[in-house]
Parts: sequence; structure tokens; C-alpha cells
Amino acid sequence: MRRHHRWNWNALAVVGLLAPILTLSAGGARGAIQDATPAASPVAVECPPDAAGAPEDGVVRVGVILPLSGTAATVGNDERAALELAVEFVNEDRAEVPLPLAAGAGLPTLDGAQVELVFADSQGQAEVGQSEATRLIEDENVVALFGAYNSAVTRTASTAAERAGIPFLNAESSSPDLTEQGYYWFFRTSPHDGTFSEGIYDFIESLNANQSAGLETVSLLYEDTDFGVNSAAALTEQAGTRGLTIAGEVRHATGASSLTAEVQALQQQAADVLIPSSYTTDAILTVQTARQLGYLPQMIVAQDAGYADPAFVEAVGADAEGIATRSAFSPDIFEVKPVAGQVNELYRAATGKDLYDVPARGLTGMLVLLDAINRACSTDPEAIHQALVDTNLGEADTIMPWTGVTFDDNQQNELGRGIIVQVQGGQYRTVFPPEFAVVEPVVPLAPWDQRP
Amino acid sequence: MTGFARSRPGGWLPVAATLSALVVFPLVVDDGSWLNTAVLVLLYAGLAQAWNILGGFAGQISLGNAAFFGIGAYTSTVLLDRWNVSPWLGMPIGAVIAAGFAVAVFFPFFRLGGHYFAIATIALAEILLILFTNWAFVRGARGMTIPFVRGPDRRPTDSWAFLQFNESRVPYYYVVLGLAVLAVAIAIAVERSKLGYYLRAIKNDQQAARSLGVPVLRYKLIAVAISAAVSAVFGTFYAQYLLFIDPETTMRLELSVLIALVAILGGVGTVVGPLLGALVLIPLSEVTRSQLAGSGNTLDLVLYGGLIMLIAVFQPNGLVAVGDRVRRRRRAVRPAGDGAERGDAPLVGAPGAGD
Repeated sequence: MRRHHRWNWNALAVVGLLAPILTLSAGGARGAIQDATPAASPVAVECPPDAAGAPEDGVVRVGVILPLSGTAATVGNDERAALELAVEFVNEDRAEVPLPLAAGAGLPTLDGAQVELVFADSQGQAEVGQSEATRLIEDENVVALFGAYNSAVTRTASTAAERAGIPFLNAESSSPDLTEQGYYWFFRTSPHDGTFSEGIYDFIESLNANQSAGLETVSLLYEDTDFGVNSAAALTEQAGTRGLTIAGEVRHATGASSLTAEVQALQQQAADVLIPSSYTTDAILTVQTARQLGYLPQMIVAQDAGYADPAFVEAVGADAEGIATRSAFSPDIFEVKPVAGQVNELYRAATGKDLYDVPARGLTGMLVLLDAINRACSTDPEAIHQALVDTNLGEADTIMPWTGVTFDDNQQNELGRGIIVQVQGGQYRTVFPPEFAVVEPVVPLAPWDQRP
Repeated sequence: MTGFARSRPGGWLPVAATLSALVVFPLVVDDGSWLNTAVLVLLYAGLAQAWNILGGFAGQISLGNAAFFGIGAYTSTVLLDRWNVSPWLGMPIGAVIAAGFAVAVFFPFFRLGGHYFAIATIALAEILLILFTNWAFVRGARGMTIPFVRGPDRRPTDSWAFLQFNESRVPYYYVVLGLAVLAVAIAIAVERSKLGYYLRAIKNDQQAARSLGVPVLRYKLIAVAISAAVSAVFGTFYAQYLLFIDPETTMRLELSVLIALVAILGGVGTVVGPLLGALVLIPLSEVTRSQLAGSGNTLDLVLYGGLIMLIAVFQPNGLVAVGDRVRRRRRAVRPAGDGAERGDAPLVGAPGAGD
């Protein structure tokens, strides 16, 4: 998912020119804030008379913990730009963007209070995450915490929020344990590995139903860190209920120099479908080795990561053709959901690159949190908690391929899901679910020697 | 504590003043992030002190001390998770396991000379990291969460029995202060004992020490066992402080390097050195990050790294040598001074030379 960061000076100049114009137009609409119902907000907010109301200085501060340095710094800074864009929607009058709170400046129920994000760098380290969470709560007086990308950092930072008794919204960590430990203050908008795995099996079922693919047995190949292990566990757990048989699982070291033995093991299992969970270099090596050894399952449906990296398609060329992978987001959404395309234009103007998975999920999560603060009519933690519990956003309220946002008993969003993209003509095209599909899935995989 | 008092001119007074300042500290500063910084300072002071027993007194540079720290953290957490054993009990058990592990592994390591020894210690911590990452019994890469002790209203609450404090972090501070004092006391005891003299003799010239009848291997193993046990105790504390551990958090190479760095920049082979190093280095890292890192331009890391380089260039003997230099100058004014050589020999244990 990594892309090169390239500054687009033309885009910057356009933003520079546009910003004053937008500010001027926002000034014009300011008088009508109280009446301006956000275009896509599903419920008109009615505040109880005893609601605590706006903070004294008219500023609502939200603490954001992200990996702004270290190995995940690129992703962290891309998400930071998306969060700033989300806050811009709220603070300025952006009636043209049909998302919650975009119309009208500030948070309407809090007398048009402005939102301020206080960023902290986790360096991708769990202990730093907890230190920074504590600092944001104690010194910066934030009303809620947001973050933190790395699952381990999210865990320790949310521990600090749980101790202090303020809401923590997570939009980008996929470890299922996070919502399953029953924290009172922890909410997650993003689907987790379990949900994503369901999506993979849904896709396989639909291939069997619609294209008579006859896929019955599955081999799992996974790398040996947090991501791969969690993924394999979720896939194994769900296979039985789907009438699929796990023919075997093969674990490999991350960054392995050879995967010959692993691919030979897969060859012996001779399953219909291979579900690999690996990072980019391992994904490339897997496909190259499979071609050399002549291992070809009927279908490969990967668990995101390396198989969803454009660098993977570039490296293996035609051998990538037909490989499908679970993903959380795809530029195809810009065609299906016009609002996503609109947000992408603004994001590209600010950063010079397209929205992708993590920034898109971050932007969505931030809007969910701010929408809840607005409906709470107060910055009181209990009121925000209740408003988050009551969250009920529909399909049109997000830029994601989700049916909406509502939280289950574990405070996990139950309407989030992944999509399946397939490499067709050297491009990732969305093939599942049908509402977001732009092309039909192709099955089975073409033999290695009959590729262009 | 008598050794500490004797080893520094000025006797009991500075020690008593420092200790009472440390005891009063949380009452004066109720601010969350300063208290957090203070806890980290004491934690790293203790870990650096433990490193110092092997790396400073005996001159065996280890870049794998995070392994012992991790063993301590995992032992108490596994005992708590599986059998509901209090971390207070898990703490000494972890210390014993870490010490036993250290003796078993370092027995062959001590046959390696100089740089090869340091490389072997790096490999040790990395191997342990990979093993724990793949070990399902300790939940592998997913890490282990220590559940909150919750009160009747479901809110996280304090529990001395299970070493967990959620309403205020002040008790954590006093626990780690107690452990740091313990670590310093152990370091002083080692320094003053026959063991300390043997270790310094080993550091100065292993061959000479052996020819004088010092059982080199045995004393090095004793040093590493003590170092490992003390590190493990802090590992348990850290697990309880974070309430989450994974192999990356407790055993990664940067942690081993940071522990050594604190001791080396503070002043190798002295009792005060690791304390000074932690007092300067940890707040430096916390303050630069909290003030500058939010912008995402990593200026904080540049500044932090730059300051470490400055200390290394201008104070190669460690921060402890600053004090020695001042004292030397003061002494030079008075007639007669026997400490002129102190501070010039960073790899020789400076305290104790005053006797």
C-alpha cells in the first residue's frame, strides 16, 4: 500500500488560492449555523436542556496518536493529512461535501465550537503510545483520544484512556482482541481481521454460487508475525461454518530468502484455493516460486498486505493476473460513491497523492467521533460515550465501502467490511461485493504458461 | 547505603537530600506526564544500574540486556494470566529464572573475547525475540494483555495485591522508587565487596587477574546472574505499568542499546553514573518528543540524537566526570588532593579509589 510521496506544487498553489475563497464563503453562512442541518446526518440533533454545552474557550480538543516517525511514518503522516481534512470539513462550511457536519462551521450543538487536533508521535512503540496518551489527557485536556494505527500502540494508549475515563476511537487497527477485551471507553469503526476474513469466504461462496467454481478446500499460507498469525487464526475458525475444508496450513518466516519448501508443501495439499497472508517481498517470492514449481490452485484470494501492494503487480507482471485480494479500500470507490471521489480530489490537492486504505479509514473514524461529540451536546465523557453508542450512520454517510456505522456490544462497528479486488489487465479492479464491483470476477486462474 | 555515603565526599547529606526529594516529588508535581517521566527515569536508572554490574564493573559490554528484562516481564505476566499468581510473587520467580538463564547462556559466551562477546549478546536478545514472537503459549506476536482490576462500579481500580494502580499513578512511582533504591543498594554492595574488586581486576586485565588466582569465569557468571535478576524485576514492574507486553516492547534491540547508552553516557563503572545518565537522557527524550514530535517532522529525534553526540564528544568519560572535574578543580585550590586521577580513567571504577 506504500506510495511515493511527491509534492505537487501546482496543487499546492491551487489550494493556496482556494483557501481564502472558501473562508470567505464560510463567513457568509455563519449566521445560519444553528439551522443548518448537515446534509447527510441521519438524525436532527435535539439537545436535552441540561446538556453541559460548549467548552468555555469554544474549542474542542481531540488527542491523536499516530506513528509520525519510525517504520510506519509514511502511513502515519498520510493519515494525519486525512484527519486534518476531516476537521476542515467540520470547522469550515463545506455544504458541497455530503458528509456529517460538513455543512455549517464548527459543531452546531456546541455553539459552533471549533475542533482542534493535538497530534502526538507514538514512534510505533507501545510504551511511547501510553506515555503520549497520558500526556494528552493530563496536560492537553483533550476530550477524547484517537489513533493509533499499530495494534500494540492502540492497546497501551487505550489502556490510558480507560484509566482516565475518556472515549478512545480507533479507526485503523485490525487486531480482533482490541474490541474483545471489553473496554468501556474503546470504540472501533474499522472492520477487524475477523470481519475481513468473512469477506474472503463470502467471495469464495459467491464464486461457487454464481460461477459454479466448485471451490471446496483451502490452503493457508501466512507469515509468522502478528498480522499473519491473527489472519490464519480467524480464517481457520470460520472455515468450518462455511462448509470449506482446510487442507493444511503453512507458516513462513517474514522476509524469507526461499519459499521452495513451503510451496512444495502447498502443492502436496492440492487445495482448490490458496489464501496467503504475507507482506510484499514474500508475496512476490511465493508467486515466482509457484510458477517455477508449477503449483497453481484454481484460485488465490489473499488477505491484503503484500498482494494489495501495486509493487507486487509490478514485480511479477502477468503472473499476478487473476489473483484476488481482500482490501479495505480501492480507487474504484471513487466511481461508485461520488462523495469519495470528491474527498479524494481535496485530499490529492493537499497531499499530492490519492486516498488509500488507512487515510480513508482515519477520515471516516474522525467524522464518526466528531459527529458523536456534536450529538452529545457536550464534551462530558459520559455524554460522548452515550452518543457513540447511539451512532447510526448510513451507507451515504461515509466514503467507505460500508453499509454504515453502528456499534455492537463490544463497541465494534458492525456495518464495516472489506472488498475484494482482482488483478485484471494489470490493474486492481473491485469484483466483490456486488454493490461496489466494477467488473465481473474471473475464475479459475489461467495456467502459468498461457499468460500474455 | 553506608557504602554509597562513604564513596562520595560529603557523606550522608546529599544522599538523604536526594532521597527525600524523590519521596516528596509526587506530592509537589501532580501532573500526569511529569510523573510518567519520573517513573521512566527510575526504571531506566535501575536497568542501567543492572547493566553496570556486568558492563561497568566487569567490563563485559552486553547489548542484550533486554532479554532479561523480557524474561521478567513474561514470567510474571504468564503466571498472572494462567494461574492468577500475584506479580509480587512473579517478580522474584522471574528474577530467578532470568539469573538461571543468564548463567546457562553466558557460560559459553564468556569464552568469546571483546567485540565477539558483545555481538553474541545482540544475537541472544534477537533469538529470544524471535522465539517469543512464535511461541503460542505466550500468545506470540499478539502479546499479552493484563486485564484491569475493576471495582464494583466496573471502573479500573487500585490493587496493591496485584500491583496495579489505575486511579492514580503515584503508587507506581513509589514502587519503582523502591526498586531503584534496591538496585542501587545491590550495586553498592557489589562495588564494596570482594566481588566488586575481583570484577574490576577482571576488567583491567583478565589474564593478570587469572594469574593472581581470581576465578574469572565464576565471578563473571555471578555478575551476569545479579545483572539479569535485577533487570527481570524491572521487567515485571514494566509489564504491570503498561498492562500489555509483546516481544517487540520488551526485547527489541533498541531497548538493549538504550539501557547500555544510559549507563555509558552517565559514566561506566560508577554507581552514580547510570542514575545521572537516566536523569538526563530520559527527560531529554520525553521533552523533545512531547514538544516537537506532534509536527511529524522528526526534529525531536534529530535533536535527541544530536545531544547524545555532544555528550559523547565533550564528556567521553560520562556525565559523572563533570562532577569529578568540578571537584578536582575545587580540590586543586586547597592544598593536597589525592583524587587527581579520578575521572580520567573511565573504564576503571572511579568510586572506591577514595579509600
